Amino acid sequence: MRTEAVDVAIVGGGPSGMAAAVAARRAGAEKVVLLERGEQLGGILNQCIHDGFGTKVFEQALTGPEYAQIYIDRMEETGVSYALNTMVLDLSPERELTVCSSQGLRQINAKAVVLCMGCRERTRGAIRIPGHRPAGVYTAGVVQYYMNLRNLAVGRRVVILGSGDVGLIMARRLTLEGAQVLCVAEILPYPSGLARNIVQCLDDFDIPLYLRTTVVEIHGRDRVTGVTLAQIGPHGGIVPGTKRLVECDTLLLSVGLIPENELSKKARVALSPVTGGPVVDDHLQTSVPGVFTAGNALQVHDLVDYACLEAERAGASAARYAMAGRLPAAEIAVRPGQGIRYVVPQLVSGTESVDFSMRVVSPDHDRYVIFRRDGHELRRMKENVLAPASMLRIRVRSDRFQRGAGELTVEVGA
Amino acid sequence: MKGKFVCVVCPTSCDVNAEWNETELLSIDHAQCKLAWEFIRGEIFDPRRTVTTSIMVDGGELPLVSVKTRTPVPKAQVLAVMDRLADVMVRAPVDIGEVIVPDVLGTGSDVVATRKVKHKG
Repeated sequence: MRTEAVDVAIVGGGPSGMAAAVAARRAGAEKVVLLERGEQLGGILNQCIHDGFGTKVFEQALTGPEYAQIYIDRMEETGVSYALNTMVLDLSPERELTVCSSQGLRQINAKAVVLCMGCRERTRGAIRIPGHRPAGVYTAGVVQYYMNLRNLAVGRRVVILGSGDVGLIMARRLTLEGAQVLCVAEILPYPSGLARNIVQCLDDFDIPLYLRTTVVEIHGRDRVTGVTLAQIGPHGGIVPGTKRLVECDTLLLSVGLIPENELSKKARVALSPVTGGPVVDDHLQTSVPGVFTAGNALQVHDLVDYACLEAERAGASAARYAMAGRLPAAEIAVRPGQGIRYVVPQLVSGTESVDFSMRVVSPDHDRYVIFRRDGHELRRMKENVLAPASMLRIRVRSDRFQRGAGELTVEVGA
Repeated sequence: MKGKFVCVVCPTSCDVNAEWNETELLSIDHAQCKLAWEFIRGEIFDPRRTVTTSIMVDGGELPLVSVKTRTPVPKAQVLAVMDRLADVMVRAPVDIGEVIVPDVLGTGSDVVATRKVKHKG
């Protein structure tokens, strides 16, 4: 088997992978190679033809493909080499990648690796909806791919289960293309997508959103003929008398995303049961030295801007590791406190400023996010609107940390 | 008049209370930045949306090219713009930013490609 040596290998050519690759080159890594399974760079952005990307970093509302092009151009400018139609089959803890393409198998030995595989959609199996298995049940992202890249229509009368952003975007897209979107059902008492998408994608087209409501049965043997909706009580379980049949030919699922980490597991990277992604330190280094991660493989993001900022950090850290062979030890453990579901990174070295990402447990407003080091308050940040759908990103400057082991807690307070 | 709006300029999605009369926006509160003012004034007096969709490509490596209206068009004309674009077909190659339909339906907005599509093969 052919073997080659590189400084930094990036797995995945979506926005995070490209941002990590460019940052690694800019930070001084000589040989950076990016490996992409698909036939083009850009990842999920290629099918996200709607606009609204880039408002945080580029201060304009770009479409997905336009956003991707910015990073494709930067890849060319900085001299990142990349391979398309190339699958990474295996990764060892010693950072040996087994790579497969039409040219056959080869091995890449990397001084540092950045894992940017993105995420997958949860499927019908994950939420166990009873009924037959007729045609016409899709995940929202698959329909987005069919419609926007393959010119395929999926159905005429559509019910959407789950109010994730992709589902909301597809409610608008299906409507514009002539399908009738009957409703969006969400089991939670609040929407899981961003408020701007509720307004632009549902309210603009008078598509109803039913909260505390789910699909309890799918009807039809060969093709979906309808779904039964029901309200769900505060303690789970169907509220008696609320079942109703909605006739439709298509059911779209937008019921969550899961970080893709099959390769991380092969390298024995420790994963967080809460985020589904690797446990990382403030350099975005995983539990395996020299293996870094960013983007949706680390945690599901709402905004590509934040995924790319995170990936730039991971790419620069990987370059530093490739050159120096080590990074400062991260001994401060970060724990989510009252009102916080998770915080990334989970470990901090205290040597540099850290951008913490986190999600709250439930919707709230006019609260503070408070950082404490062994009980002592380091920083508090006022947040006007807190929603589980909106990831918070808060910077804590390096001079606020005290070095050495210990614990940092993050909580929501008055 | 008074009303509640969600500003959609950025993902922060501020909840904003607004007050206006027949001709102008008088006040807003709870917005975290200045961009909300223009957006909400637009929502009251001249609501507009950017239309993004895809159109067919002949001889391309992909069957479709994604497009957008370069500037937002009146919200009431969004579906008419979709109808206008339904049968449009362009020949590959298509470059990003290339004008596909100039001044669509007299809105003053050009429909432009948002990606490159190369020749097949």
